[in-house]
Amino acid sequence: MNEQLARDLERDIASDPRTNELGIRLQVRGERLVVSGEVASEERRATVLEVVREHDTGLEIVDHIMLSAEPGPGGPDHEQIDPPQRS
Amino acid sequence: MPDPIRVAAVGDVHLADDLRGRYAPLLEGISGEADALLVAGDLTQHGTVEEAKAFADEFDAADVPVLVVLGNHDYHSGADRDIARLLTDRGVTVLEGTSTTIETDAGRLGVAGVKGFCLGFHGRCAADFGEPEMKAFTGHGIETAGVLRRALDDLAGEEPDVTVALSHFAPVDDTLIGEPKEIWPFLGNYRLGEAIDETGVDLAVHGHAHAGREKGLTPAGVPVRNVAQPVIQAAFRVYDVVPRRSA
Ligand SMILES: [Fe+2]
Ligand SMILES: [Fe+2]
Repeated sequence: MNEQLARDLERDIASDPRTNELGIRLQVRGERLVVSGEVASEERRATVLEVVREHDTGLEIVDHIMLSAEPGPGGPDHEQIDPPQRS
Repeated sequence: MPDPIRVAAVGDVHLADDLRGRYAPLLEGISGEADALLVAGDLTQHGTVEEAKAFADEFDAADVPVLVVLGNHDYHSGADRDIARLLTDRGVTVLEGTSTTIETDAGRLGVAGVKGFCLGFHGRCAADFGEPEMKAFTGHGIETAGVLRRALDDLAGEEPDVTVALSHFAPVDDTLIGEPKEIWPFLGNYRLGEAIDETGVDLAVHGHAHAGREKGLTPAGVPVRNVAQPVIQAAFRVYDVVPRRSA
């Protein structure tokens, strides 16, 4: 049943208009509900956790959500793309 | 060897008001690095016009032509047409089964774009069989590849020095490695790859697969790059594409 709960929650987080986050994973580990995956901002992390909390699971929510690396300054990576070499 | 045409690309920026200010400072002066900036869909998080404004405001900072395709997120609120109109009004080129050319110091860059759709890959793809819903799903996937092929055929008539195919969905599965295999049919479409292989494309750029990897090849050896922002972890990548034939 835990597996079912986790999948249901994942689906809700994907379809809830406040979140629409497709990359959030949930796992039940004993009495704990682990929320993982990547979001783009603190605000989006908070909203995901809010949606999870709305489901009265009775489990302790563990936040393992990662913030995606914010694109930093500095020169961009250039990669040269060569035409096919035919010998 | 002729000079390369410098193609900057990113996808899946999923903009909304909370991410305002994240891209603009990094896009200022991009003309020093690139001749054009391609954005491979999922410009917005929920597909609202408000979010599209945030995208337009951020990407206004780029001082090179900005060419985009929409992604599935940009369709979510049913406002895709309004989003496309707003972006067009803001000077962004929105490609959907269409192409454009840009004159650069190194030659003419041609870009054909399509959002694309699900379907899957050889041996593991949706089949045009059974219920009408299944046929509609499969048929749309096949149709979208035909749309890309026609756009690329038309573009060939313009004789670009470098041809780039831009899509949201992946044309190959190489760049999906890292994503759970169960969802690959929802991430890409091998027919897009076939269209790319048959139309003289030099580089294919896509997004959508946030957990995939950057580099792959089509069956015929055309370089494919997944530029989803969570994959490249930068504001954009630049591909210096060397034209096939010297001018
Ligand atoms: Fe995305
Ligand atoms: Fe997407």
